[in-house]
Amino acid sequence: METAPSSVSCLPHTAKMSKAKKVLEEAREIRNPELDLFDKGVSTFEEMPGLLNMTNVTRLTLSHNRIRSIPPGLANLTNLEILNLANNQIQELPLSLSSMPKLRILNLSINRLDTLPRGFGAFPVLEILDLTYNNLKEDSLPGNFFMMQTLRALYLGDNDFEKLPPEIKNLKNLEILGLRENDLIELPKEIGELSRLRELHVQGNRLTILPPELGNLDMASNKAEFRFEGNVWVPPILDQLNLGISHLQDYLRSEAYRITYNRYLTNKPPVPPPCVDKAKKISRLR
Amino acid sequence: MNPTDRSPNIPLIGAIKNSRLAQRRASRTEESYVRFEIYDNVPLHIRNNDSPVSQTIPKFQWITNMSRDTMFCSKCGEGFEPQEKIVNSTGQLWHQHCFVCAQCFREFADGVFYEYDGRKYCEHDFHVLFAPCCQRCNTFIIGRVIKAMNASWHADCFRCEMCNLELADTGFIKNGGRALCHECNAKVKARGLGKYVCHKCHAIIDDQPLRFRGEVYHPYHFTCTACGVELDANAREVRNRPGLAKNDTNELYCLRCHDKMGVPICGACRRPIEERVVTALGKHWHVEHFVCAKCEKPFFGHRHYEKKGLAYCETHYHQLFGNLCYSCNQVISGDVFMALNKAWCFHHFACSICDQKMTEKTKFYECDLKPVCKKCYERFPKELRNRLRRQHEASTKRAPTPVE
Repeated sequence: METAPSSVSCLPHTAKMSKAKKVLEEAREIRNPELDLFDKGVSTFEEMPGLLNMTNVTRLTLSHNRIRSIPPGLANLTNLEILNLANNQIQELPLSLSSMPKLRILNLSINRLDTLPRGFGAFPVLEILDLTYNNLKEDSLPGNFFMMQTLRALYLGDNDFEKLPPEIKNLKNLEILGLRENDLIELPKEIGELSRLRELHVQGNRLTILPPELGNLDMASNKAEFRFEGNVWVPPILDQLNLGISHLQDYLRSEAYRITYNRYLTNKPPVPPPCVDKAKKISRLR
Repeated sequence: MNPTDRSPNIPLIGAIKNSRLAQRRASRTEESYVRFEIYDNVPLHIRNNDSPVSQTIPKFQWITNMSRDTMFCSKCGEGFEPQEKIVNSTGQLWHQHCFVCAQCFREFADGVFYEYDGRKYCEHDFHVLFAPCCQRCNTFIIGRVIKAMNASWHADCFRCEMCNLELADTGFIKNGGRALCHECNAKVKARGLGKYVCHKCHAIIDDQPLRFRGEVYHPYHFTCTACGVELDANAREVRNRPGLAKNDTNELYCLRCHDKMGVPICGACRRPIEERVVTALGKHWHVEHFVCAKCEKPFFGHRHYEKKGLAYCETHYHQLFGNLCYSCNQVISGDVFMALNKAWCFHHFACSICDQKMTEKTKFYECDLKPVCKKCYERFPKELRNRLRRQHEASTKRAPTPVE
């Protein structure tokens, strides 16, 4: 504690920083594999000396800090199962992150990601990926993004997607898909192939029509939660939504809708303008 | 003196032995149709419609007109003295001292006598010597005598041993040493066969009985209150006043009409529900018929879990379908924390931002159906909180109040 490593000796010894170090000390002492380092005023990993050698750690919670970048060495924590980096200022991720062999839950919400590194989708066992409130769009996803077959929940809310790539269908185990408040103009028909999907958030987008294939999903089950509010639905869909989700499901499955849908496809309704002014998003800050 | 004839006119009532009914009855071993005798043992002046005076006066006149020389006493064969009183009874003549009781040789009080085997007896001696004694009240029987069950009875005393109905005019059936009316006999017999006796026609009900106002009937005695169709055993008794089963305002309906009356039908037994109704899985159920699909125990208001149109108790739902923990993705073995359309192991329920454990007491916010503790929510960007709040207001018409 008294002797800081020489490489970081120039850093100010603030009270917060000491707190982070204290947590690490304690954890080392009692061999606690779960590290709570949220809200410690941390800006860089250098403020947490020795952390990257604590390979026994299974959970690392660094939310509510000011971290801007992640060192590739974080991947040394090969026992890490839960990595929580919510509400930081991360703009870039190291490629090495995707190779973490046990990482199941990765929370990167409320950061400043414009893009994801190439090969990001290589996580072997990732189950929950939270990318809510960043600046991502379809172009920022690496080619292998939808190869994460173990993914159960994908949160992409508060981003800048205009289209969802049809490869979404490869996420066969996906149960939860969050796309709240993006700029989505349409949903791919492949979404109907996500047979386990029971939670879909598409509120606050620019959607007008829904692919009839969406009706394949069990939207009306008591375990399902499908949220469609805040879009510019064509009147027939809006009518069914007002009646209830089971009515919408029946309608999407009906021959009548198939005809209506094809008519809309040839005679596309005008694309609504982006409705949400996202300039105020702190993820935009540089 | 107005002697009256009282020849004991003894009629015999027996069974008609050649009828099919009689033959059937005779073939039964347990009970047999018992013939019984009835005869009138009534003092004759009561039976006679004519007054004794009006009957005898012309006879005396006729006697006085006849020559006394040609008349002789029926008993001693002697003639009559002039002016001697002659007793005339049914065309026979007696000296007054010859017209006496064959037992005590005294004159008949009030001229009432009883004749038996050609001899005349006073009332007392007739009773002592010949008159029947009632098996029930042990007194002499004056008037109608019922001979049955190897004894004599007053008509008034011979009654069904079960329902106390007078049997003299209706006949009776001997059943296990008891005299029973036809109805009680049928009941006893039906009970022995495990069947019911129709309360209306008193015949045994061979098929399904219809219960109505506390009695059982052949269904075909009734028609539907609504459509008038002849009823079968599926008919339903509808209680206009709930409570008592035996209720004289109850009405009968055929099954079709009954089903149209809006009485909920139990999804398990398909019978109407007249008590508490459980509505679940889009159907109605008797409380005791709404059961776990696995262990078949009724929920009795306890929480149930639905899966593919079936309901399960908590134990078997988890056993069969294993609610997976949102965090560890394992089947939850211990206590389950259910919230936000998800389930957690009890100790895995934590804030999705700071990973701090929360209990059922912790207040938390919801963001994309993930739990967020109050502290973390307050550290969300302000504009995000504003949008989340607006969205909540739009979708649920209420502010994002903490959910417990």
